[in-house]
Amino acid sequence: MLELTDVEVRYGAIRAVRGISLKAEKGELVALLGANGAGKTSTLMCIAGALKAAAGTIRLDGRDVTSATPEAMVRNGVATVTETRDVFPDLTVAENLTLGSYIRRSDRAGVAEDREKMFALFPRLAERYGQPAGTLSGGEQQMLVIARAILSRPRILLLDEPSLGLAPVIVDQIFEMIGVLKRSGLTIVLVEQNAAKALAVADRAYVMRLGRIAASGSAAEIGATTDLGALYLGG
Amino acid sequence: MTFALQFTIDVLSLGGAYALMALGLVIVYGILKLVNFAYGELIMVTGYTLFLMGGSGLPWLVMAAVAVAMAVVTGVLTDYIAFRPVRAKSITAVLITSFAFSTLLQNAALLFISPRPRNVPLPALFSQTVEIAGVITPVRNLVTIAAAVVLLAVFAWAMRRTVLGIAMRAAATNFTMARMLGIPANLIISSAFAISGLLAGVVGILWIGRIGSVVPGIGSEPLLVAFIATVIGGMRSLEGAVLGGFLLALIDTSLNYLLSQELLKFRDAFTFGLVILILLWRPEGLLKGPATGQRT
Amino acid sequence: MTRHLLTAAILGGFVILLVACAEMLGIRVFDRIATNLCISLILVLGLQVFMGNSGILSFAHIGFMGVGAYTSAVLTIPLQMKGMALPELYLVFKGVQLSPYLAIPIAGLVAAAVAAALSYPLMRLSDAAAVITSFALLVVLHTVMTNWSNVTNGPRTLFGVPRATDLTLAAGVAIAALLGALAFKESRTGRLLRASRDDEVAAGALGLHIPHLRWRAFVLAALFAGIGGALWGHFITSFSPNAFYLRETFVILGMLVIGGANTVTGAVVGTFIVTGAFEGLRSLEGSLNSAKIFSEQVIGLTEVVLALAMIAVLILRPGGLFPSREIGAIIVRALSKRERST
Repeated sequence: MLELTDVEVRYGAIRAVRGISLKAEKGELVALLGANGAGKTSTLMCIAGALKAAAGTIRLDGRDVTSATPEAMVRNGVATVTETRDVFPDLTVAENLTLGSYIRRSDRAGVAEDREKMFALFPRLAERYGQPAGTLSGGEQQMLVIARAILSRPRILLLDEPSLGLAPVIVDQIFEMIGVLKRSGLTIVLVEQNAAKALAVADRAYVMRLGRIAASGSAAEIGATTDLGALYLGG
Repeated sequence: MTFALQFTIDVLSLGGAYALMALGLVIVYGILKLVNFAYGELIMVTGYTLFLMGGSGLPWLVMAAVAVAMAVVTGVLTDYIAFRPVRAKSITAVLITSFAFSTLLQNAALLFISPRPRNVPLPALFSQTVEIAGVITPVRNLVTIAAAVVLLAVFAWAMRRTVLGIAMRAAATNFTMARMLGIPANLIISSAFAISGLLAGVVGILWIGRIGSVVPGIGSEPLLVAFIATVIGGMRSLEGAVLGGFLLALIDTSLNYLLSQELLKFRDAFTFGLVILILLWRPEGLLKGPATGQRT
Repeated sequence: MTRHLLTAAILGGFVILLVACAEMLGIRVFDRIATNLCISLILVLGLQVFMGNSGILSFAHIGFMGVGAYTSAVLTIPLQMKGMALPELYLVFKGVQLSPYLAIPIAGLVAAAVAAALSYPLMRLSDAAAVITSFALLVVLHTVMTNWSNVTNGPRTLFGVPRATDLTLAAGVAIAALLGALAFKESRTGRLLRASRDDEVAAGALGLHIPHLRWRAFVLAALFAGIGGALWGHFITSFSPNAFYLRETFVILGMLVIGGANTVTGAVVGTFIVTGAFEGLRSLEGSLNSAKIFSEQVIGLTEVVLALAMIAVLILRPGGLFPSREIGAIIVRALSKRERST
């Protein structure tokens, strides 16, 4: 469904991603693991269209989307949850959600229905409906950005570090949620520092090191063969 | 009491015009983080459109509407000519192209129309005065206050209640994230320039209504006013821009009453000195804009 | 080192060639154009010193040109004319009459001192705030010039400034400015400043005090502007504050941008090209006016064309004609490439 071939990302003279190839099939949850600075986020932002690929191709259902803009990628069915948990802080929760369904704004009934589903999934958001998103706690903000991304009814969800800086209880909730989304048939690419958690929900995993794919395989294989501690020390 | 009323009407009518000017500048700044130096020329375009239609025999309101529409078109053109082609390259490049576009429009007016003032058609209302509680004031001041109230209310409503308005507010805080929700960058930017043109057009008519004629350099004072009001109000906050407009009007009107003739000449030096001091103290402007939401 | 000397020699050669042409032709108009070109060159080089190294757009530059022009004028207007030219002049200056050749460097120093005093706090601003403050500074300087009638004769034209600038003097100063701009670019301050422009965070992390580096460039730029302004004053002999405002800013900025703000070569080439185009268009305007083809005077054509050219250059070649390398470096590279291929 999603296929990257020899993709490179550069920041000026620095090559953050040095020719990686990876695949995600329909309904799969693919984890992208690696130390800080391994190029995971850059890869994800490149798929989302927010960073330009300096080389290589990105295909979606066989179609070349390498140079698509971020807004075109959303219309192509790719939604992104960024690492920095970008809620619009001075917009209310409701307004944030409205923008999540921006590309479906003519489908009022469908949007309203999905919105109710989200509130059922994240009751906290329903409670905080009219509050500026900037006043939410970190976990609530994470829920909001995931709900917002889902409202575009994506076929692929790109999730960047959903557990970053959150309390363990919240992290468990978030991963439970990811499981629910996966069971609904959504394709997910998950970038995660918390390798154990990620491997527990993932079908397959890729390990990135210094901009390259260092290892790949089923979640169980990667979990068994890779020294996760060393992975995160950058070794 | 009479003085208080007089003073209030002065501040509100001047402030209404200033607020609209500042809002038109800040709506583009908020989204692109770039100053549109050709903003004053939108007011010039409004004036000359009105002048060119002077002999057409159309009802005045139609002429005014066409003039405002021309300002909107010119606003969008500014984006296509001066901003869009260089936007990705460098901030300095865009500032220079918008400065060049401003010079271009001004000199085109010099070249194709005239360096001399041209009278614009205005309804009789603009030259009449009215007495309220013993205060004699030009009707156009009341028109300005009314226009400002209506426009600001419509604008506030549109920014809160329409999807496009919400999207524009979102884009002003985090443009990339807005795009990653499928909001097209070009639509947002063009809308910002169109709204900027609309506000400049309306302000243009009110401003020219005070003077009665249009010259190629007519936009420079409104541009400077918008600058100061924006800096006072916080460069990223729409509410701030409006507040900045009224505050500047208060400062200007008070200085008019307070300063001696000798010092009044230096008023611009004072206000711009104030601008520099404010920016030094708070580079984002006096009032705080929305948080960026970025935590790197 | 060779390439820097080569750059200096080639660019200096341009100026010398210009003077030689003017002398040989012996036409008064050409002499005037060449002198104006040299003065513009000093101003453009000044702007290059700041903008090219710091990467920050400054609108205030022409304001310092005005400071220089008025300083030199006040110091040099003959005693018997002072009463008429500057009726409200302060008593202290009423008895002062210096030689223009002494007053011009003083004017440069005064402009630099004013810049040094006003600009230090401004230098820590970047992006839009920096541009707006520099714009505000230009407005402040302009307002002061327009209204401080004790030294500027207010908005009215100040006349009676002794004529002292000729082509040789202007060209000499222009060459000195050229060497100064090149030397600054290669100086420690210039190099650090350019490094900071490319990566502000990294430069800050290295412990560089960026505002201080910018400030040095700004003061040097104002020195150039002040001297340029004084030379211009002693060439034109009468002027009003409007000469030092947005139109002049636009022209000088246009020269630098078209040539390429990052290089001294760009500053020189831009000045030559724009001056050439300007004079061509102005004579076209003149002949259109004398031919009376249009009912009204043709004015503004020159600016319209320059504005279009600026926009076109920035779209097609955002760095200008010489975006990154000086002419000397380009030639040295081309030569060494040829050597390698043979």
